[in-house]
Amino acid sequence: MYSEYNISRRGSSTSLFGNVDRVALGIYIAIVLIGVMCITSASFDSETTNIFSFSHNYMKQLIWVGISSVMAAIVLLLDRRLFHMFAYPAYIFGILLLLCTLAFGTKVNGAKAWFELGSIRIQPVEFVKIATALMMARIMSDYAFNIKRLTDLIKIAVVIMVPFGIIVLQNDTGSGLVLGAFLFVMYREGLSKYIYFPILFTIVLFIAALILQPVIIFLALLVFFTLYSILKTGEFIGHIRFFFGIILGWLLLSTLTPLSGYVSLMIVCGIAIITLTALALKTHTMMLLWPIAMFFYAMVFVPTADTLFQHLEPHQKNRILTFVGLVDDPRNVGYNVNQSKIAIGSGGLFGKGFMEGTQIKYDYVPEKHTDFIFCIVGEEWGFFGSAIVVILYVSLIMRLMKMGERIKEPFGRIYCYSVASILLVHVIVNIGMTIGLMPVMGIPLPLMSYGGSSLLAFTILIMIAIRLDASTSERNLI
Amino acid sequence: MSDQGYIRYRILRIIVIAVGAIMLIRLFSMQIISDEYDAKATKNIVRIETEYPMRGEVLDRRGEYLVKSRVCYDVVVVHRELPKTGFDTVRLASILDITPEYLEKQLKKARQSPRAAILVVGYLSQENKLLLDEGGFKGFHTRFRTAREYPRKIGGNLLGYVSEVTDRQVDKWEYYEKGDYIGTNGVESAYETELRGEKGVSYRIYDSHGAVQGSYNDGADDILPVKGAQLTSTIDARLQEFAEELMVGKIGAVVAIEPSTGEILVMVSSPSYNPDLMVGRQRNNNYASMIHDMRQPQFNRAVKAKYPPGSTFKLVQGLIGLQEGVLHASDRYPCNMGFSYGSRKMACHAHSSPLDLRDAVAHSCNAYFCYVFRDMITNAKYGSVKEGVRVWNKYVDSFGFGRQLGTDFYGEGKGYVPTPEFYDKGYNERWNWGTVISCAIGQGEMGCTPLQMANLAAIVANRGYYYIPHIIKHIEGRDSIDRKFYERQYTLVDSIHFVPIVEGMWRGVNVAGTSGKARLEGWDVCGKTGTAENPNGKDHSTFLSFAPKNNPKIAISVYVEHGGFGASIALPIASLIEELYLTDTITRPQMVEEVLNYQPNYSRNYDAKQRKYDEERKKKAENKK
Repeated sequence: MYSEYNISRRGSSTSLFGNVDRVALGIYIAIVLIGVMCITSASFDSETTNIFSFSHNYMKQLIWVGISSVMAAIVLLLDRRLFHMFAYPAYIFGILLLLCTLAFGTKVNGAKAWFELGSIRIQPVEFVKIATALMMARIMSDYAFNIKRLTDLIKIAVVIMVPFGIIVLQNDTGSGLVLGAFLFVMYREGLSKYIYFPILFTIVLFIAALILQPVIIFLALLVFFTLYSILKTGEFIGHIRFFFGIILGWLLLSTLTPLSGYVSLMIVCGIAIITLTALALKTHTMMLLWPIAMFFYAMVFVPTADTLFQHLEPHQKNRILTFVGLVDDPRNVGYNVNQSKIAIGSGGLFGKGFMEGTQIKYDYVPEKHTDFIFCIVGEEWGFFGSAIVVILYVSLIMRLMKMGERIKEPFGRIYCYSVASILLVHVIVNIGMTIGLMPVMGIPLPLMSYGGSSLLAFTILIMIAIRLDASTSERNLI
Repeated sequence: MSDQGYIRYRILRIIVIAVGAIMLIRLFSMQIISDEYDAKATKNIVRIETEYPMRGEVLDRRGEYLVKSRVCYDVVVVHRELPKTGFDTVRLASILDITPEYLEKQLKKARQSPRAAILVVGYLSQENKLLLDEGGFKGFHTRFRTAREYPRKIGGNLLGYVSEVTDRQVDKWEYYEKGDYIGTNGVESAYETELRGEKGVSYRIYDSHGAVQGSYNDGADDILPVKGAQLTSTIDARLQEFAEELMVGKIGAVVAIEPSTGEILVMVSSPSYNPDLMVGRQRNNNYASMIHDMRQPQFNRAVKAKYPPGSTFKLVQGLIGLQEGVLHASDRYPCNMGFSYGSRKMACHAHSSPLDLRDAVAHSCNAYFCYVFRDMITNAKYGSVKEGVRVWNKYVDSFGFGRQLGTDFYGEGKGYVPTPEFYDKGYNERWNWGTVISCAIGQGEMGCTPLQMANLAAIVANRGYYYIPHIIKHIEGRDSIDRKFYERQYTLVDSIHFVPIVEGMWRGVNVAGTSGKARLEGWDVCGKTGTAENPNGKDHSTFLSFAPKNNPKIAISVYVEHGGFGASIALPIASLIEELYLTDTITRPQMVEEVLNYQPNYSRNYDAKQRKYDEERKKKAENKK
C-alpha cells in the first residue's frame, strides 16, 4: 500500500499533522470554541458565585474538550488501514452496546438511550453513528459491491436498519432518523434516483394525510397525475375525458347511493385503476404503469397512515401535530419552540452580547445548553453570529464532501460523505427545530451542544475523515 | 460512474448550500425584519407592577394623630404557580394567622380561576410578611397596602373608612383597579384624592420560575408612588373624645364650631362606633352587625339627620322680625301659658308675662315668637301670607337652613324648610298663617341638621355672618384650602339686630331663664335651649350656645333624641364641652356623672323597631332553612 510506504518514509508524526486539512480542522476548532462560549453563557445565572467550580457545565465541557483533543490527536496518529480493519468489530461492538443500553440503560427524557458509568453518562448512539459510517464505507467500498444489485442493497439496508430498530425501541426516534443520512451517501454512490421519489412521495402523503381530508388528497393526486400524463404523452382530449369521467362517476355514486364521498371516490378510482392497468398492458404503454402504481400506493397508504400515526408515542404525535400546525399549544409542546424562536428572533443584527441574553439568562429557553444551544448564538450574537455558525457548518459539510471527492479510493470517499451527511441531518434538524422549520426532535447540535459523548463522538467522526484525507494528501504530495 | 458521481456531488453541494440559504433567510426574517420577537421577549421577562403609595394621615388641630397609616400586606395566590407536590399548609396558615381550614377554602376558591391573583387574606403585618417571604411559598404573593389606625378610637362617622372599590367605581374612575382601596364616608371620602397619593409603576424582570431578577431598564421607566398628603383636621381630638363619651347611650349629635373661622371643633354622631372596627379581618362581621343595628351607628346624624330645631329657632324668628321692622327689641307680648289662635292654642311654660324680646329669648316664650311670626307673614307689605312666607324663606335660607352649607364634608344633608308651594300642595292651597304658626318655634315641618344648628350658633356669635363650616384646615403641600372657607357668608339680618338676641341668650344663662346651668364663671356663656316635640316619643332635647359673649371662641349645638327638656341633657353636655375647650379643665365632675348616668328611654321607638326587625330576620332565616 502507498500509505504504508509513506508513513515509514516520512516517519515522524509532525509531518502527518502537517498534511491534515487545515480548513476542516480550523472550522472544527472554531465551532467547538463557540460551543464552549455558549455553554459558559448558559451556565451563569444571578446565583453563580465561584466561576471555576467544576460543578458548572462549562467547566465540565472544558474537560470534555480536553479529552476530545487528546482523542483527536490519537485518531490522527493512527494508521489509516486500522479504520478499515476496525469497521466490523466497531459495528458489532456498537450494536452490542445499543442492546445493553436497551436492557440496562437509564431513561432520560423518556428515551432509554443512556449508559451510566459512575458519574459519567454516555449515549452509545453517538458512537454507533461512527461505527455505522465505518461499516457502510467498508461494505460499499468492496470491489465486488454493486449498488444497483438488490442483494447488495439489502446488505446495506440491514446495516442501517439493525441499529435503527434498536434506537427506535429505545424510544429515541430522533437519533434513529439521523441514520437516514446514509440516503445522501447512497445517492452519491449511484443509487437509482427512482428510489428517492417514493420516499419523498411517502413523506408528502403522510403530512398531507394528517392535514387534509382524504377526498381532497385524492382529487389533488388525480389532477397531478392527469397533468403529468398529459405532459408525458402530449395527448389531451382523452385524459380530460377520462378525468371528468371519474369525477362524474364519483358525483353520481355519492349522490345516488348512501355511500360516503370518500368511499365512492375509492370505488370509482379502483375501477379506473383496473381499467387503466388493463389498457396499459394491452397497448404496451408501460409508462402509464408508474403513475398507476403511485396512485394505488396512495390509496393504500393514506388510510394506513392514520393508523400508523395512532401508533406513535403521544409526545411524538404531539410534536408532529404541533409542527404541521394542527395543534396550537404554546404551553406544552409548542412552548419550547415558541421560546426558542423568541430568543433567536429578539437577537437582532448583532445580538444582546455575551451573557446578556435575557431569555437565556432568565431561563426562558428550555434545554438551553443542550438541544437549544443555537438560541444562545441567536440571542446573544444576533444574525451576525447565527450566520457565522450556519456558514461554518455548511463550510465544514462541503469541505468534507470535497475531501471525499479528493480521496480517490471509495472507502475514504464514502466515509467522508457519511460524516458530511450525518452533520447535515443534525444541523438541519437541530437548527431547523430552533427556528421553527422542523418538528422538535431531541438531537444535539454537533460539537456545540453540552454533552461529553456527543462532543467526543463527533470529534472522532470528523477526525477519522481528516485522517483518511491526510493520507491522500501525503500521497498527492509525492 | 465517475462522471455521474461528479454530477451528483454537485447536486448534493447545491442541496447543502440551499439548506444553508434557507436557514439564513429564515434567520434574517426572524432577527432583522420581524420585530414581533423583540416585543415577545420583553413581554416574557418584564412584568408591570403597581406600586402602592402610603395613604395620607390625618392630624387633629393640635397635631395629634387622628388617623395613622400602618404598612400591611394583602396575600394573594396564583393557583397555577402552586407547586404540584404540595406545600406545608399548616405552617403557611400559622404565618398568615388563619386556620388551615380557611386556607384550604381560599385555595379552593383560587382553583376556579387558576391564572388570576386571588386574595387569600388581608392585613398581614410586616413581620409576618417577612416570614412569608422567607418561607418561599411558591404561588403566594403580597401586595403593599396601608391599613388605618386610630390612636384615640374616635370619630367613626367623622373620619369614614377605607374599603375595596366596587366594580362600578372601577368603571367610573380610571385611577382605580379591581382590588384597590378607596375612602368611603367622612374625611376619607371627601379628601380621597388628597389622601390616596398617586400610584406608581415599576417594571420588573422575572425569570421563568417567577422570581424577581431586578428592575427593567435600570428602573428608568419606573414611576415612584407619591405618598398621600397629610391632612390637618379642625377637630380637637381631646374634645371629640370627651363629647363622644358624654353621648354614650344617647342618640343624637354634637357639633362645635370656632365662629371666627368656621372650623369644626367637634362633630359627634351618636351612637358612634370605634373606627378600628372597619379595619382588619373582622371588618365584614363588624360592618354587618352595624348594618343590622336599628340605631344606625353608621348614619352620620351630625350632618344628615333632619331634626326639628325647637326653641333654638326662635333666635332666627326674632332676628327676621327685627330686620323686617315688624318687631322692636322693646316690644312686649303677653303670654298666658301659650298662644291662642282660633280654637287652637300653642302651649307655653310658666314664666312672668308680658316679656320683652330679651327675656322672651331668655325664658324661651312660645307665645312671643308666635306673635312675631304671625305679625311678619301677615304684614300687609307682602300682599299675602304666601308672599310673607316667601320672604321668610329667603331669610331662613341666608342662615343656611334648608340647603347644604357647602362644607368639605361627605354627604351633607339639606334639612328642610317648608315653602308656600309645600303648603299649597299639602293643604290644597287653602292655608293661612295659623297653618304655619308652628314654624315660629321650630316645630312642624322644619327640619335642620345639627351642623346647621351649630352654624346658627356661630352666626349669632359673629353677629350676622358665618364661615362655611369645614373639617380640614390644612393639606400638606398646599398653601391654603378652598377659598370659599375664608369668605364671610352674611345673613340678610344686619349686625345691629343681633344685640338684643345675644343679650337674651346671655341673660338666659347668666341672669334668669332656661339655661342657667350653662353658666361658667367669667366666660359670659350665651345659650338657648330647645325642647322639640315629636310624634315618636319624649321630646328631643337640644341646646345651642356660644362663649364667650364677646370674641366668641366656640359655638356649639347639642341634640339628644328623646332627651326631654333642652336643659335636662343637651345643655349640660354643651356646657361641659365648652368648659373643657375654654378652660382645659372640668370643674363639675358632678355634672359629668349626671350626664353619663342620664340614659334616655328608647324602648318605644328604636328598641321596639329593633325587636321587630330582629324577629323578621329570624323568620327569614328560618324560611330559608
